Amino acid sequence: MAVEELCALEKCLGLKAGKYSSRAQGDRKIPVLQTNKGPSLVGLATIASHLVTEAKKEELLGASIEEKAIVQQWLEYRITRIDQVSSKEDVRNVLKDLNVYLEDKVYMAGKKITLADIIIYYGLHPIMADLTVQEKETCINVSRWFSHIQHYPGVRQHLPSLVFIKNRIYSNIH
Amino acid sequence: MGFGDLKSNAGLKVLNEFLADKSYIEGYVPSQADVAVFEALSGAPPAELFHALRWYNHIKSYEKQKASLPGVKKPLGKYGPVNIEDTTDSAPKQAKEDDDDDIDLFGSDDEEESEEAKRIKEERLAQYEQKKSKKPALIAKSSILLDVKPWDDETDMGKLEECVRSIQMDGLVWGASKLVPVGYGIKKLQIQCVVEDDKVGTDVLEEKITAFEDFVQSMDVAAFNKI
Repeated sequence: MAVEELCALEKCLGLKAGKYSSRAQGDRKIPVLQTNKGPSLVGLATIASHLVTEAKKEELLGASIEEKAIVQQWLEYRITRIDQVSSKEDVRNVLKDLNVYLEDKVYMAGKKITLADIIIYYGLHPIMADLTVQEKETCINVSRWFSHIQHYPGVRQHLPSLVFIKNRIYSNIH
Repeated sequence: MGFGDLKSNAGLKVLNEFLADKSYIEGYVPSQADVAVFEALSGAPPAELFHALRWYNHIKSYEKQKASLPGVKKPLGKYGPVNIEDTTDSAPKQAKEDDDDDIDLFGSDDEEESEEAKRIKEERLAQYEQKKSKKPALIAKSSILLDVKPWDDETDMGKLEECVRSIQMDGLVWGASKLVPVGYGIKKLQIQCVVEDDKVGTDVLEEKITAFEDFVQSMDVAAFNKI
């Protein structure tokens, strides 16, 4: 999963495909990128940041120091929270967190798309795909953000486009 | 379509609702649609309308590039929810905007720009009118088949036809006619005519024909073809 995602990110950034492998750690698989020079890179956030730098799209890591920190924070969130969801309860908590956070934001960090948006989008995709229409509507801010990011040119790649109903049906749940 | 009055709280609420599940007014990138609605606002929406405020702050960050955003500006009535009309009054905008000094939304040179655009539009319109007037005017004609129904079987159909044909109008030419049996010995008059669309309308025609109350009970347009 993580490897596929990094391949999608590579395409999105306009890079050539790198050499990936997976390393098992406990019951999880950690992606490993073998670089031409130097040691291999381990871990989703590390590799993603490396790819962005390699593609010379540093703006995706955040414009200011604060933004950079926020991007890193969300990359961490992706790995420690989103990737760790094991129950419906976890999913609900993650969506609730994000829904509150995204209420006054269009992008995760700053006024432009960043790596945080892309990585959280990839991580959230399987979760969002499982939601019912009503659940999607309950976390309206996440849905709006998700729909926005999946339509951002180049981001979606191989992932299927998820449908968000345009008119709201359950008007009394906000 | 529209947001109602964007200067009022009600209008802002509509905008807020509308933006709950959208990042932009139209599509997935900032466009002139956003600029148009942004300019219609008299300032930042209140904090409780957080969807509108989020959008407002986001679009504000594009202020410098607003001219280069894609799309064409349309009237406010072209955006927003389908079931609500646009009633935003653009005239008092100037005065209201001047009130908040800290946010000079889009400077005054924009006003000149729109003035310029207006002038160009008028020029083009004038050119177009000129072009149009040079073209030989094509006279639009229609062929109409009328059904004229008498009162009963004792109505003199010959007289009825005579009456109908006696109607003389500029741009009206009567054609062939025939009597079609309806039942119980009653016949209706089917009559063809050709009219110039600009000069003769079917309602005028109907009025004139039904004026012969002694003979005509009712009249229908059986067929209407543009020539």
